[in-house]
Amino acid sequence: MRASSLTGILGLTLLAAGASSPARAAAPPAAAPAAPAAAAQAPGEHYTLDPAKSSLEFIFLQAGAKNTGRFSRFTVGLDFPGADPAGGRLDVTVDVAALETGDKDRDDTLRSDDLFAVTKFPQARFSATRIVRTASGFDAEGPLTIRGVTRDTHVPFTFREASEGGATVGYMAGKTVVRRLDFGVGQGDWKATDQAGNEVTVSFNLRLTRAVR
Amino acid sequence: MTLRNTNQRWGAIAQLFHWLIVALIIVQLTLAEMADDLPNGMRKLTFLARHKSFGITVLMLVILRLAWRWLNPHPPLPDNLKPYERKLATFSHGALYTLLFAIPLSGWTMSSARGFPVSWFGFFQLPDLVPRSRPLYEALVTTHVTLVCVLLAVVALHVAGALKHHFVHKDDVLRRMLPFTRNG
Repeated sequence: MRASSLTGILGLTLLAAGASSPARAAAPPAAAPAAPAAAAQAPGEHYTLDPAKSSLEFIFLQAGAKNTGRFSRFTVGLDFPGADPAGGRLDVTVDVAALETGDKDRDDTLRSDDLFAVTKFPQARFSATRIVRTASGFDAEGPLTIRGVTRDTHVPFTFREASEGGATVGYMAGKTVVRRLDFGVGQGDWKATDQAGNEVTVSFNLRLTRAVR
Repeated sequence: MTLRNTNQRWGAIAQLFHWLIVALIIVQLTLAEMADDLPNGMRKLTFLARHKSFGITVLMLVILRLAWRWLNPHPPLPDNLKPYERKLATFSHGALYTLLFAIPLSGWTMSSARGFPVSWFGFFQLPDLVPRSRPLYEALVTTHVTLVCVLLAVVALHVAGALKHHFVHKDDVLRRMLPFTRNG
């Protein structure tokens, strides 16, 4: 009768790094020999997260019922030249230990070695190196790493810009399904999926601010 | 034995409700005890999920059972009961129905307060009855457990009464709820 327990889950991660990766600046050799660093960074293409107005949630089945959790600490970097999404990058890094499902016992179980093993794998990460336009928005493609396991994935999202108080902000939203066992989130008893579903829906609703360069 | 009740005995449907619920109460006590002893983990989760599903099953059965009882005259108590025995029987039956309704309901509410929605064997999910609240959850745990203790006490009274009918009064009150007895 004590309702204790826990659940399955996963979290996800997205995004990678974005902006400040030094490798990127070197890109276009042909064009402007004089100013190599500037070309890849047209003004307005880089966005960072407004954490106060953003959410990253995961929805999982526990004992046949839908439960929701969230990651309260994560970073997002988006390079997104709207006219040419293919030149974009999306980097998301999630502090997995900062998961919250509304129940401390469950959160602790999720952080434990058989599930997220946050001591050993504190971060989950999605580094999309390619963004393509789709009928309903965009699709970010790249490696997703959770619990030390990396798999190529893609994450569909929508993006719109708005002008707020003179600043340009971006609203990015989407969701994708991650199978937790693909990433080893669920060892031992937790490999069973009848009480803790394998499929976890990761959903994000982000407010991004455009960085001034 | 007929499906419906007669003046002399309980019909098959009423008996099925009675004995099915007896079996489920035993299952429920067992699952709860086993889960209580386990550390947090998949096994505990599984036991508790079954416990909740069976509890919702009891709730559904009790509602159907009360409807059936209302649609269907039940065999009367013997005429030779003393007034206090009659009162005791009426009280204990009322208490049993009430508890069989209130206990699953308190369990369901307690799950809602804890923030763990209840599913019926994974087939469908029940709505949360109250918003998440730790103090409410703690209070409902106490309520749930207390009601179960009261249920066990009333069941003891119920069983004692049935045995007294059988062995002391030597009437057919016990036999008429037993499926395999011949009786008028």
